[in-house]
Amino acid sequence: MSLTINLTVNGNTQSATAEPSTSLLDFLRDTLNYKGTKLCCNTGECGACTIIYNGKPINSCVTLAADANGAEIVTIEGLADGDKLHPVQQAFIDTGAVQCGYCTPGYIISVKVLLDRTKEPTPEDIEEAVSGNICRCTGYTKIVDAIQLAADRMAGRS
Amino acid sequence: MDYFEPKTITEALSVLAKYGEHANVIAGGTDVMVDMKYKEEPGCLVNIKKIPGLDTIQENGASLQMGPLVTIRDIETSRLVRERLPLLWESCHQFASLQIRNTATIGGNICRASPSGETLAPLLALEAKAKLAFRDGEKTEAFSSFFQGPGKTSLGSKGLLTEIEISYPPKGSHGVYLKHAVRGAMDIAMVGVAVLITADAGNSSLQDVRIALGAVAPTPIRATKTEALLRGRSLTAALVKEAATLAASESSPITDQRSSAEYRGWIVEALTRRGLEQSWKAASGKEVV
Repeated sequence: MSLTINLTVNGNTQSATAEPSTSLLDFLRDTLNYKGTKLCCNTGECGACTIIYNGKPINSCVTLAADANGAEIVTIEGLADGDKLHPVQQAFIDTGAVQCGYCTPGYIISVKVLLDRTKEPTPEDIEEAVSGNICRCTGYTKIVDAIQLAADRMAGRS
Repeated sequence: MDYFEPKTITEALSVLAKYGEHANVIAGGTDVMVDMKYKEEPGCLVNIKKIPGLDTIQENGASLQMGPLVTIRDIETSRLVRERLPLLWESCHQFASLQIRNTATIGGNICRASPSGETLAPLLALEAKAKLAFRDGEKTEAFSSFFQGPGKTSLGSKGLLTEIEISYPPKGSHGVYLKHAVRGAMDIAMVGVAVLITADAGNSSLQDVRIALGAVAPTPIRATKTEALLRGRSLTAALVKEAATLAASESSPITDQRSSAEYRGWIVEALTRRGLEQSWKAASGKEVV
């Protein structure tokens, strides 16, 4: 059996069908062609598949595509404004917080949600916001630097 | 695989009755999705997230009622839970990652019945009750009899958890949840210990004490012998030590990839000691000497 899923992705209304067992991640990547969101552990442990679901960061690999019916989704493709990158994306580049880059979209999504919520994140806020994202290149120091830089820029401090 | 999105509990129960053991109930999906990918697809998936009214936290007199679809993050961000049930709050705060907490539900954590389920020891210590729905009626059951083994509950394949009720502990109570894991986030407890104590009016002895242990037996358990040893007594360092040793002997841990059984026993001892010391200090303002 196949289900019809109507949802909004990055502000665009979309409609497509999915099998009941399909994950939201596979639906986004393979059906709707949003390849920016990454498939990695596929068990909800690494955070590479993080997307924003009705305002909250979630692991799309352990969410049913069916649960996206009627939902508002934001993926990494939805952050830039035309050619102008989102401040979090720009800060990751400027700080050198990207090594192999596979975890980066998930990190940037988690950080965007954090900085939408607070302009002055404490080190604890930062740690909590990305505690579900794993960087296997282990470039954590630069990632934290990038988050701080993005926060400063978004608050007009830098 | 057949798929249903029932709109009522009655509708969900009739699907469960039809498919029996071939049906899997899914809510947040953080465990069920992994099983579907790496084990076997069930014959039928019953997504209960469309049933209205199961996702609220409500205060009713001196108790809190929670729907099974309340997410771990809902609990973590509930001022009511943080103020009145800090023991439960702590276990939700230490739960997996933000992404998982945004999706995983309290009902899922309970019905999964993993011995290491993060919220289970706190629910046992709080003497919380489960409201269960079956086709032939509803019943209320204490969690102490609800958990029957790893992945096994008194729901069997036919029932649905519809509410969790938690009475507030009496005045003078304080509880702590202590988890031992290697990593701060995204890690499953090697041992989880929930301690809830009630000091007497003069803060001189333990009017009541409840100790629940997670991840060290086929189900989360109450350390009832340890509780009996402590009840009515004044806490001294020697008594705390004796209680901690007894709690370890009440556990029956296994050796697995996270730790050896022997190590888990030591951790039960250490966390029980710390739990008693910390909760006594918080409840009475006094150190254990």
